[in-house]
Amino acid sequence: MKSIKDQTYYEILEISPTASDKEIQRAYEHAKETFHADSLAVYSLFSEEEVKEIQSAIEEAYRVLMDGVLRKSYDQSHFQSVGGALPEKPLEVQGDIREKRPSLSFTGISFQPDEELYRGKTLKQIRERMGVELPLISKETKISLKVLEWIEEEALEKLPALVYLKGFLKGYAQSLGLNPQKVVEGYLRLIEESKRK
Amino acid sequence: MGWTQSNNRKMIWTIGGGKGGSGKSFITANLGICLSRLGIRVILIDADLGGANLHTFLGISPPAITLADFIKRRVSHLHEVLIPTTVPNLQLLTGAQDLLNAMDAKSVQKRKLVRSIQHLESDMILVDLGAGNSVSVLDFFLMSDGGILIVTPEPTSVENTYRFLKSAFYRRLRQMVSSPSVKAVIEGAMDRKNEMGIQNPYDLIKAVRRIDQTEADRIIEEAEAFRPNLILNQVRSKKDIEIGFSIRSACLKYFGIHLHYLGYVVYDQDVSNSIRRRRPLVLENARSRAAQCIMEITSKLANRP
Repeated sequence: MKSIKDQTYYEILEISPTASDKEIQRAYEHAKETFHADSLAVYSLFSEEEVKEIQSAIEEAYRVLMDGVLRKSYDQSHFQSVGGALPEKPLEVQGDIREKRPSLSFTGISFQPDEELYRGKTLKQIRERMGVELPLISKETKISLKVLEWIEEEALEKLPALVYLKGFLKGYAQSLGLNPQKVVEGYLRLIEESKRK
Repeated sequence: MGWTQSNNRKMIWTIGGGKGGSGKSFITANLGICLSRLGIRVILIDADLGGANLHTFLGISPPAITLADFIKRRVSHLHEVLIPTTVPNLQLLTGAQDLLNAMDAKSVQKRKLVRSIQHLESDMILVDLGAGNSVSVLDFFLMSDGGILIVTPEPTSVENTYRFLKSAFYRRLRQMVSSPSVKAVIEGAMDRKNEMGIQNPYDLIKAVRRIDQTEADRIIEEAEAFRPNLILNQVRSKKDIEIGFSIRSACLKYFGIHLHYLGYVVYDQDVSNSIRRRRPLVLENARSRAAQCIMEITSKLANRP
């Protein structure tokens, strides 16, 4: 039982110190969804100030844990200061990006992050934080490297017909362990917004 | 069939929290049926003061014999007021008013009643506490082996559940400490506008630690041992299902407690159809989506240590 100020970054995101980048990403999305200002699960329990404090802690935890160098440094300073052994991080094997998605629940459902998150640029940012190269995704998903680049660059005029694009977005999302439906919805919203402009 | 003098402890689950209409009686009745069909001897206790109608969910008429007959010594043993149902291994005990009055009574009587319930010959007892967070309801919730909160994904239901959880949480802490000054601090902390500036359980621990280090440690231990369960009812979307996980995370951050998300029951027209027909859903339409959800939760309850 620790207040948010006393919790480790792993405790803030409710993950193990050996969590992989994909697990961190999913936990972050869940935490963001939970501690959203209008969240049904939060508004009647925490004050606005408490929610803001938790939100900042979540962002900070995510920023540090998704950066290999910062995470290593954090682990060293934190675990050594409490006299524990450094956690053994799982190997992020580049050749096997389709790791089995660990079920966070009895339903195995994925958490729904803010759809705004899934614009091309943000997808690229998530991929880079996970340390996954685009050619590898292309190889795994059989999606042309060019199309993946256009998706990330939001080069909407170059993208294939919607029916194909949806399939590509799903494949891309699955390869990163993201919710395919949400990625497709978020990206289609981006296209709609662009058409309106 | 009947009463036993053995001291074998029964697994007692209490179903409460949330607000009226969140489906506590419906879920209690149907869980009871599913458990009994697994060969588990189950007793359902209707302690819903606001609307004791568990019998209706089981499709039986209002019982003529109730807990009052045991309390007023018209029968000598509690097992004599149990009502058989059409489902093998499943019995019903009614008398909400009398049960909760007894819980309001002196602690000796309270313990005696709980002991009598524990001595009933069954493997599992499910108590439908109904809505509200009176002291007697909270005490029964805290005395059980496992408390289950039924919540619907709506603001009013979630708010009421948190209110119930806060009351139960602080009452449990208050019961566990012995120092009168610490008890007073806990009582004060229940009011968020308290003059001590205690806004949450962490502030409470800090305040208690200033008075008594040992009591503060005891509070931390108690908070960690308090593990209520959650069932989300009338779920209509995946987003609704996720609210259960969010409530779990919010409870961990706010109280430092580990809430166990037992499962969810989808919104299903078959539920209201079965209630109108006074036929339990799991018997009437076992293939319905809601019945499937209840069966999934049943298997978890049956396998809990």
